[in-house]
Amino acid sequence: MSDIVLTMTGVEAGYGGGLVLQGMDLALDRGTITCIVGPNGAGKSTVFRVISGLLKARSGSVKLGEREINGLDPAEILRAGIAQVPQNRALFPEMSIRDNLLLGGYAIRRDKALLKKRTAMVEEMIPLIKERASEHAGNLSGGQRRMVEIGRALMLDPSLVLMDEPSLGLDPKSVAKVAELIRGMAAEGRTVLLVEQNVRLGMHLATHGIVMEQGQVRLTGDAKDIADNPEVASMYLGKASGT
Amino acid sequence: MQFIQILAFGLLLGGVYALLASGVTLIFGVLDVVNVAQGAFLVFSALFTWQIWDLFGFEPLLLIPLNGLLMGLLGWAIYRGMLVRVAPQGPGMTVLLMFGIALILEGILNLWFGNKFKSVTPSYYLSSFNFGDIVLPMPQLISGILAFITLGLIYAYLRFSWAGRALRASAQNKEGAALVGISQRSAASLAFAIGAATAGVGGVLLAIMYPIFPATQYDWISRLLGIVVLGGFGSIPGAITGAMILGVTEAFANTYLPQWSSLFFYGAILLILLFRPQGLMGTKTREDVVA
Repeated sequence: MSDIVLTMTGVEAGYGGGLVLQGMDLALDRGTITCIVGPNGAGKSTVFRVISGLLKARSGSVKLGEREINGLDPAEILRAGIAQVPQNRALFPEMSIRDNLLLGGYAIRRDKALLKKRTAMVEEMIPLIKERASEHAGNLSGGQRRMVEIGRALMLDPSLVLMDEPSLGLDPKSVAKVAELIRGMAAEGRTVLLVEQNVRLGMHLATHGIVMEQGQVRLTGDAKDIADNPEVASMYLGKASGT
Repeated sequence: MQFIQILAFGLLLGGVYALLASGVTLIFGVLDVVNVAQGAFLVFSALFTWQIWDLFGFEPLLLIPLNGLLMGLLGWAIYRGMLVRVAPQGPGMTVLLMFGIALILEGILNLWFGNKFKSVTPSYYLSSFNFGDIVLPMPQLISGILAFITLGLIYAYLRFSWAGRALRASAQNKEGAALVGISQRSAASLAFAIGAATAGVGGVLLAIMYPIFPATQYDWISRLLGIVVLGGFGSIPGAITGAMILGVTEAFANTYLPQWSSLFFYGAILLILLFRPQGLMGTKTREDVVA
């Protein structure tokens, strides 16, 4: 049985008259962490928008398992098992942390037993959510917010989690906690796809790496091999080529 | 003792204003639409109450659920039929649309009812409630209590139901709401329906308190917008606070300086906005901070 969770084949997508993704291919295995790097405008965020249904691919296919998901609306894709933790603040600041978490289970709100089970699961994984349940989410620090955002995304027990810049704006201690959580998700069999400007951190965290340029995959492989690639090292890690 | 009586009267009046203004602020919070037709919705409901009372003579307060439902449906239809198409054009266009709807409603009401005051005068219209030395007019007392009860129900709905959570989420962070699967369109339709329904309920309460004619919509919308601006656009606690300030200010001014009554409230708005441009409980948006 194939263990591939998501496949993109020859995807072309863009805004207005222009194409951002120009024949994008991608395959993500179960339980892996894949980090996409690339210069601004390479199409990293567009990959996320296509997978989460915010942007429809003009050609090519996007499959979750065997199911074609290109063209489904974002709520259907969410229910199918793809959750997203965006780069910008996505919490509801004037609502309690508990309500923020519950809203992550909005799509399963009618199944009370399942909702309770998932809440307990996430609370066990991220104790902060239980400890500060009644506080407003707006009172949390950047790192704590990111933890709640991840917890909220886990409420639907997604098979694939998309994370846009998970370390952005966080202090080193919070980055370590978030990294631990991401590794924990993968260890449980979830697939994580992340975009990270901090290439060093991204490749350290990931099992696989993808370098994108002009809407296509330029390089793909084990994260360690990508990080050690002289060209990548020189472009993104500040090392001289060949060192 | 007179002080307490005026204060109690002001708070009851504030409760009715709070109910009416909460609808405007809820719609703004979820849709970013300033519903300038709320005054017309209110007058429409009040005159409908008068018509039914005049024809059949039964207790006008019994119309509260019906008017709430009818105005809610009208609000839902206006959102789905018109507003949803105009909303992408920006706030200027939605204000124009709602102003157009207000003018059309006023025109229809003028044709039907004529430009004359209509008063609903049930049996308790001139009676009062005596609590020691405090004497409160019965229509104001009943309206105030019913307004607080309705506000309580709206609060409980927003606080504890899934639909209410979805509305609050949508008002606080639209992108975040979309990410958890809340449809902005459904949240917006529901918010507009609830907002309009508050005018349906409020219209019945106004009908037993004041004489109404179609053009009084301008007087009401200016009060409601004043309350919402004072409290902070989009904030329900802000709208309640603003409404209480207006109710109490009006009650005292009407007793001691009746000819200056409006000046006090609008003067208070001017002063508060000089120091807190976002209103008492509004939050500064990123645009405010950048500007």
